[in-house]
Amino acid sequence: MTSTTISNAMKWFSRLYLTLIYLVLFAPILVMVVFSFNASKVGYTWAGFSLHWYYELFSNEAMIQAAINSVLLAVVAATVTTVIGSLTALSFQRYDFKGKSVLQSLLFVLMMSPEIVLAISLLALFLMIGIELGFVTLLLAHITFCLPFVVITVSARLASLDNSLLEAARDLGASEFTMIRTVLLPIILPAVLAGWVLAFTLSLDDVVVSTFNTGASFEILPLQIYSMVRVGVKPEVNAVGTILLGISLVGLLISQLLLLKKR
Amino acid sequence: MPKNHMPKNNIVTRRRFLEMTGAGLIGLTGLGLAGCQQSGKNENEAAEATSTQNAPSTKRGKVVNVYNWTEYISDSVLKAFTAETGIEVVYSTFDSNEAMYAKLKLMRNSGDYDVIFPGTDFVDKMRKENMLEVLDHNKISNFKLLNKTLLNAEFDPENKYSVPYLWGSSGIAVNTKRIDLSSINSWDDLWLPQYKGRVMLMNDLRDVFSMSLLTLGYPTSTQDPNHIKAAYEKLATLMPNVRTFNSDAPRMPFMEGETYLGLAWNGEVIMAQDQGMPELDFVYPKEGVIMWMDNMAIPKNAKNLENAYTFIDFLMRPENSAIISEEIGYGSPSDAARALMPPKMANNETIYPPADKMGHALFRRDVGDKTMALYQKYWDRLKVDM
Amino acid sequence: MNKSILPNTAANLRNNGRLFQRVTLFVIWAWLIIFALIPNILVVLASFLTRDEDKFLALPVTIDNYLRFVDPLYVKVFLHSLSMASVTTIICLLLGYPFAWLVSRTSKRWQSFLMLLLIIPFWTNSLVRLYAVKLIMAANGLLSSALIGMGLINEPLQILYTEKAVIGGLVYLLFPFMVLPLYAVFTDLRQDIVLASKDLGANKFQTFWHVILPLTTPGIISGVLLVLLPAMGMFYVADILGGSRNLLVGNIIKSQFLDARDWPFGAAASVLLTLTMAILIAAYYASSKRIGKTDHNEVA
Repeated sequence: MTSTTISNAMKWFSRLYLTLIYLVLFAPILVMVVFSFNASKVGYTWAGFSLHWYYELFSNEAMIQAAINSVLLAVVAATVTTVIGSLTALSFQRYDFKGKSVLQSLLFVLMMSPEIVLAISLLALFLMIGIELGFVTLLLAHITFCLPFVVITVSARLASLDNSLLEAARDLGASEFTMIRTVLLPIILPAVLAGWVLAFTLSLDDVVVSTFNTGASFEILPLQIYSMVRVGVKPEVNAVGTILLGISLVGLLISQLLLLKKR
Repeated sequence: MPKNHMPKNNIVTRRRFLEMTGAGLIGLTGLGLAGCQQSGKNENEAAEATSTQNAPSTKRGKVVNVYNWTEYISDSVLKAFTAETGIEVVYSTFDSNEAMYAKLKLMRNSGDYDVIFPGTDFVDKMRKENMLEVLDHNKISNFKLLNKTLLNAEFDPENKYSVPYLWGSSGIAVNTKRIDLSSINSWDDLWLPQYKGRVMLMNDLRDVFSMSLLTLGYPTSTQDPNHIKAAYEKLATLMPNVRTFNSDAPRMPFMEGETYLGLAWNGEVIMAQDQGMPELDFVYPKEGVIMWMDNMAIPKNAKNLENAYTFIDFLMRPENSAIISEEIGYGSPSDAARALMPPKMANNETIYPPADKMGHALFRRDVGDKTMALYQKYWDRLKVDM
Repeated sequence: MNKSILPNTAANLRNNGRLFQRVTLFVIWAWLIIFALIPNILVVLASFLTRDEDKFLALPVTIDNYLRFVDPLYVKVFLHSLSMASVTTIICLLLGYPFAWLVSRTSKRWQSFLMLLLIIPFWTNSLVRLYAVKLIMAANGLLSSALIGMGLINEPLQILYTEKAVIGGLVYLLFPFMVLPLYAVFTDLRQDIVLASKDLGANKFQTFWHVILPLTTPGIISGVLLVLLPAMGMFYVADILGGSRNLLVGNIIKSQFLDARDWPFGAAASVLLTLTMAILIAAYYASSKRIGKTDHNEVA
């Protein structure tokens, strides 16, 4: 009987622990959402419910454009990264080639590098080539730093894959490409999609790489916020954060509905 | 029949979950790419309208290229200018004097901008380096309406190269709910041990050192290494009191309740009072006040010289200067403009201190690269020794 | 025409596979060389050059930039930065290890949900989140007001603009990076080994110390690497929460590149940071080799 009470206590303790940590993780998010509706101009006191900051936000063209740019960038970067990253993971798994360990090491180093090192090294590259800083350079930078994460996610799945199915497909005459497309991909699709979500998340959240690798022609959210808050606290920041979060959550919801419909 | 009772949504395997996530997000990708074209176009239109782009449009001729701080002018004044003269204003921004200076140096003949807004030390520096046009005062008729005490200063004798735009002071901001206002009247008060961890300084090397130099009785534009060393050593003893350095929005640490007194611009105090902290007040320390001024100047070889004069003179008109001063919160250099302001603003001692409080007030002068390097060395040391 | 007659010869199969393989490998090699290898080489080169007003880099090759780091000033910043990052890592580890273990013990459906929950906050850019953190931490902010309201303290908390605030911010942003590799390792943990240990008579603590801990060490090391190094580079946390006083190595790099425009010096700082990383990774390899050996002996 003592052991069950202990294990019950353990269960409740573990639930409490998890809940507490999630609460702390989400507290700033909740604050952001709640205060986006705060009528007060200064952040610290609650002055009543108001949509004022959302109105302000919608008349702030620059900020809206920056937010759209950020989401757009995240989506494109995640997609390209997933393609390249999945192919990379596949190659590591299926082919043996010269310099494989070099490539793997490069990827590992890339993942462990502090973002700032990556950011300035790419800045140096872009300036040397003479390419103008903007959407393209930022996209290339984002793909580069997201790549290792996608590779790892997909590799993990591939490692536990049963090769017999793939060999069977090849024996039956499918080309490598066809086999991958029709047999392998559907099996590892969840991992590929998980990689996409991870890349999307990393890109949307990024501040460091964006600071160094974009130009005046492609304003993104973190820089916009940085320059705005320099002149004073702007509660519109809370509004834009809430909207960004909302968009991502809605996307999640849509995907749920889409898949339910399919069934 | 049992099949219908199967709870469909409860069992979410990892695979299904990821399928859901992925499919939805792939759908978003499609939408995103379609919108790409559209937003690219809008982006460019918006950019031209708000003009943070630096490309000067010389094709049209009726244009003036202005290079100023962000949010440091009145939109309504700009619109009125274009309406009256037909000259379009292409407005570019910088966020520090150093950045502006570097940009001008990069553009070999500085010809891309017609009107710039440097601080006093940069007017000093740039006139010595021949980067500015000599001003033809016949073309700026409103010059005579300016307050005489702000003119003919050492950084630009006879105002050959610049005219004042807005001015202000750096003094001591005090949270009067936490500290008795009458007890603060000297820079030395910041050093008092009871303010440990409660002092704010601006992230401005010259201002912070000026403060220390004033308490020691040295001139704020000194180039004497001994003076500077003494100032540094005194500042080192202040560091335990300093909670934070902030030049982006100096009123913020006060509004956050983190600091109770410190070095700040008078305009920031006014803004704080407007934004819900009426207890923040401004003190002009007895050893002397640090004054600053932003000026209008014309870079050498400006392409639209005449338009530059028109623009400058327009901004100096009393009614326009008054609007700008009221919107931004710093002092107008034009007496005529002050006469047009509501008394509460025109007589606000925080913005327009009476003469007796302006003892030892001097504008910041350029001290030369060698001295700046020395300052920088000490500054880094102060920041790191925690 | 010939293709349709003999589609399945071994030669054909090999060729199709090879084309795909070639293309894929080409893309990967090209990407990594252009965007990973060359940029880092450029930075190393830049660190040996001299500063130039107009073009940022100029020729006199010099090691001055590195010598500047011997200045006790910068050593101090580096060490302070390293200590803040280390404290951050330790806190993340202490909080994250049990967290990952507990999540891995829940039912499968809960696991996906919980892991997603961990990621969702990142869908709001970290800058925005830090401003909310500021709202909470400030003396006039929510935490102080709540505690004063509850009568637990009299004076407002002094957290913001101190080292504590920076560490708090870093932990908040980097926590999931510690959890992810730990979670992966815990879900891979073979329950039969743990059970075997118990069957052999080990109590909970012994099982943990001799079985679970060694088996999860790779996850710990990955987590540490994913937190420690990025922490040193996250200049914006120090900017927003640190009050321009608690500088990280990342702040130096950023200000040298963007404010002071002394690229060679900033490059040198970056190279030194990378060297630190290289040392840590070497330690990682050495320790995983050692673990591999012990594994081999005990679990055989």
